[in-house]
Amino acid sequence: MLRRIADSLFWAARYLERAEWRARLVSVNHNLLIEGPAPVGNPWSSMLAISGDQELFEEHYETVDETSVLTFFVLDERNPSSIRSCIDAARANARSLRHRISSELWLELNTLHLDAKQWSAARLGTSEVFDFFQQLQERFYRIAGVINGTLPRGLGFDFLGLGILLERAENVTRLLDIKYHYLLPKVEDVGGPIDLLQWAAVLRSASALEAYRLKYGNLIRTESVVEMLLFDPDFPRSARYCVDRLETALRRVAQAAPEPAAAPTKLASDGLAGLLASRNASEVIAGGLHDFLIDVQEECERISSAVFDQYLRFE
Amino acid sequence: MNAQAVSNPVPISDAYRIASGLFDEMFDLERRPRPGCARVVADLLVREPDRLAELRTRADGMFLRMGVTFNVYGMEEGSEKIFPFDPIPRVIDAATWANLEAGLTQRVRALNAFIQDVYGAGEILKDGVVPRDLVLGCPQYLRAAVGLTPPHGTFVTVAGIDLVRGADGRFYVLEDNVRTPSGVSYVIQNRVVMTRLLPDLVRASGVRSVENYPADLLESLCELAPGGKSRPKVALLTPGIYNSAFFEHVFLSHQMGIDLVEGHDLVCVDHKVFMKTVHGLQQVDVLYRRIDDDFLDPVVFRPDSLLGVAGITAAIRAGNVSVANGFGTGIADDKAIFAYTPAIVRYYLNEEPLLPIVETHILSDPDVRRMVLRDLDRYVVKPTNASGGYGVIIGPKATYRELIEAREAIEREPNHFIAQPVVQLSVHPTLLGDTNGAGPFAPRHVDLRPFVLLGKKTRVLPGGLTRVALREGSLIVNSSQGGGSKDTWVLER
Amino acid sequence: MIYRIRHTTHFIYDKPAYESHNEVRVAPRTSPNQRCLSFDLEVTPKAAVLAYDDSFKNRVHAISVHPPHDELTIVATSVVERLAPRPSTPLRVPFGEFLAEDAARSAEHFEFLHPSKFVPFSERLRKFFWSARPAPTETVVEYTMRIVRYVRDQFEYEKDKTHVHSGVDDILSAGGGVCQDFAHLTIGLLRLAGVPARYVSGYLAPRAGVASDYADQASHAWIEVLLPGTGWTGFDPTLRSRTTDHHIRIAIGRDYSDVPPLRGVYRSAGSNGEMQVELSIQREGEPEPEVLRAQMQNQSQQ
Repeated sequence: MLRRIADSLFWAARYLERAEWRARLVSVNHNLLIEGPAPVGNPWSSMLAISGDQELFEEHYETVDETSVLTFFVLDERNPSSIRSCIDAARANARSLRHRISSELWLELNTLHLDAKQWSAARLGTSEVFDFFQQLQERFYRIAGVINGTLPRGLGFDFLGLGILLERAENVTRLLDIKYHYLLPKVEDVGGPIDLLQWAAVLRSASALEAYRLKYGNLIRTESVVEMLLFDPDFPRSARYCVDRLETALRRVAQAAPEPAAAPTKLASDGLAGLLASRNASEVIAGGLHDFLIDVQEECERISSAVFDQYLRFE
Repeated sequence: MNAQAVSNPVPISDAYRIASGLFDEMFDLERRPRPGCARVVADLLVREPDRLAELRTRADGMFLRMGVTFNVYGMEEGSEKIFPFDPIPRVIDAATWANLEAGLTQRVRALNAFIQDVYGAGEILKDGVVPRDLVLGCPQYLRAAVGLTPPHGTFVTVAGIDLVRGADGRFYVLEDNVRTPSGVSYVIQNRVVMTRLLPDLVRASGVRSVENYPADLLESLCELAPGGKSRPKVALLTPGIYNSAFFEHVFLSHQMGIDLVEGHDLVCVDHKVFMKTVHGLQQVDVLYRRIDDDFLDPVVFRPDSLLGVAGITAAIRAGNVSVANGFGTGIADDKAIFAYTPAIVRYYLNEEPLLPIVETHILSDPDVRRMVLRDLDRYVVKPTNASGGYGVIIGPKATYRELIEAREAIEREPNHFIAQPVVQLSVHPTLLGDTNGAGPFAPRHVDLRPFVLLGKKTRVLPGGLTRVALREGSLIVNSSQGGGSKDTWVLER
Repeated sequence: MIYRIRHTTHFIYDKPAYESHNEVRVAPRTSPNQRCLSFDLEVTPKAAVLAYDDSFKNRVHAISVHPPHDELTIVATSVVERLAPRPSTPLRVPFGEFLAEDAARSAEHFEFLHPSKFVPFSERLRKFFWSARPAPTETVVEYTMRIVRYVRDQFEYEKDKTHVHSGVDDILSAGGGVCQDFAHLTIGLLRLAGVPARYVSGYLAPRAGVASDYADQASHAWIEVLLPGTGWTGFDPTLRSRTTDHHIRIAIGRDYSDVPPLRGVYRSAGSNGEMQVELSIQREGEPEPEVLRAQMQNQSQQ
């Protein structure tokens, strides 16, 4: 497979997954604001801080409020990580691959891109925003279905998968960080009603609430939520699930080489797998969840660089 | 639709106008179907003419779903269009085709010999059969191609020869395309669609298959492998998604099972060409390139070209890679050289040309120029260094102003133009967009571009691309200027 | 006379260059008055080198360097034997007579009688030609000598008025230029008169003990004219004279664009490369002279 093709597949997938998680992150923040009592400080500032886009935001906006932050995260084309920009980037990468992906997938991506062009700030008003994110999430599910239902399982599928899984593992840690690090700075609230409400919202935004209840029952405990989103081998948006699938995809890619050899990418994915295997939820919470999440993100970054160096680097 | 044996050909109704002075591909002057056409006429035009519109709608849907589109130059991204398709097939009977096939084979072999000669010994120039200055002064004459002889001397792997049929019913060559001729994907797709639309009629008519073309092309390409390598790596080099023929590049690479690469997917190392794959560099032996010479190698040609592969010319010289078509083939389809093609056939093959060419006047000759300028409105004037129907002036249709401008341009740079008499292209019954009560179909002008593959064997794809000018009276059949296409049926018997 | 020539082209890049592909024309041609006794091309870092003859029978070396490198050095070393041009007596054919065979000559020597990339028959050139055109009674050789001197009398040798991609219009509007420009302009005036003329690139060996006025450029350029009776004859418009045994021929072409000493592309994250050229020409039996140096900036092309 040509590097150019693999690279476009990888990035189309990453951008698509990134767009989906941006939607998840923004909507969980939004839900928490509506459902819970007012948190300490400006919750939208926390959101900006965690996204790493604070500086860019401040270049273009005067005040940090719901309207400006929503616009910035959803619509603003000056923000390369806005949902609209991510969809554009995913579609641009897919365009040069039209002949390599299914026409169904192209149609879905292109339609989403055309719709995103039409989005206006009015859709983000309080009365509509819930529907907006709901519908957007359904679009992403449909695309995932089309990917799974129409693409042959070859190298192309694996590079697509690598993009999705790396982006997903990174973003599930961001979601946890929003709740744990920024929304609840007061120790005495831990385990209180606000805390529980917020954890429920986090689970819901990861589409994990129902799966959680099936597994752990009605009682929402911090430890179990962390267990589910980081260490559960079966839940499709847990970090552990992602790394298992990453290992499989990387193995398949390496085996497709004319002369299969030990690949540096395996070393990198072993790093993340090892990190996740070395702790459990209670240890992680006791040792500082935020730091652990940062470690996971760094391991993801390491895998990403290894994939790039090994398979995608063009020059 | 049920295909019946047609014993008694039915004349077409009076609603269909048989134009005088034009050759109708389907009917003679007595309104009777020509040889081989009776079944199509009976089944398609006489029995259920109202079904034609439905067939076209279904065909359009199939083309869209298959993604058979082309890009139009000068329009925004997303302006991919389907090439309008006419469901009434053009039929060529076996005897007519046999003559054409022989003429095309002869012609392409001679053009290839010409290219080999002008970049080699130059015998034809020494013998004065083609003027030396015409060749050396031609923008298509590529000095970098001197001494670059491809394996087996095959410069032209793929040729598309544009033919028109005159009022006398004979086919004439209008133009040769021996650089990167396109359109063959439509030939194959048109047949796929027709076979789905009218399976019984296709089968009963005994239509010769076109589906072997990609396999034949691949075989011809493999023959070019340096050192006669037995399982060479072949790739198709495309300028990219914005090229008007990108769909065809996708289609052919899929059909041949080869990689579709862009210039930056390739790199030259030690005078060898490699593809950048996820598992490292993989050597390429043969490139079917759909990029013009000028853009192929920034070291030798345009240094600003980003489409090509730096160093590929040296790799060819080193004998480590072959490209098809070869460098510099444009010298053989230059519009001024065209006038000499009958002499070229005689010179290299010692045979009389089987296919006549449309009379062509070289305007650098002052006497000829005077004659043409006197009756400019009776000629088609073509620039010698453009393609795609841009910049062509059709005398009888030109405005006064256009004629004045053409005259000035010719007088300024007579070497840059040729003139041909207006050829009355033959007509073919074609489904109308808007019937205006005239019946569902009417005669429209058509041409024919057969495709010839040159290699150890010379193969002519049965039929070729029939392009049709959809506007009444129009002679311009180019897809970029309102033309459509028809399936072309060469009959087995 | 035997010359030992060492021509060094040295690139220094601000960021590593890679996928570097160049074609160089630095090997002396063998011709009636000149024999190339030996030639060697050395490239650092290690490179793949392919030699071939171009359509004018100039020797070309295609050099390919793939891995990243900070510098590239190409050293061409040759030993050339140059004979003094034989005294020739061209036929004294006046233009009136000469032009009668113009059509035949035009077909035979098309490429040296027609406009070329750097010698377009521009409005400016045509006007300049009009003022210098030959009378029907003037002989071809008289005209040639007159033009060779005339061009140099009209224009100063000035280094920075033109550049390596300048055509005839540039010297005409700048009022000055270098050997390349004088050659182009002279060629233009000869071709417009119907006299076949071609461009020659090469080296000008300095005379013993005499510093050359034109030492700021490593390469030299002159022309050859097809004179009735004698064939291709060399003239140096920069020196206003016939060529001598100090003119060492490398390549011929329609104009500079056919014979650049070096042409190529490379990739780099950087934007600038500096090119240094060193030339040393040693006459056999004499001590090694001072090395000529020239420096140029050149842009990364990709």
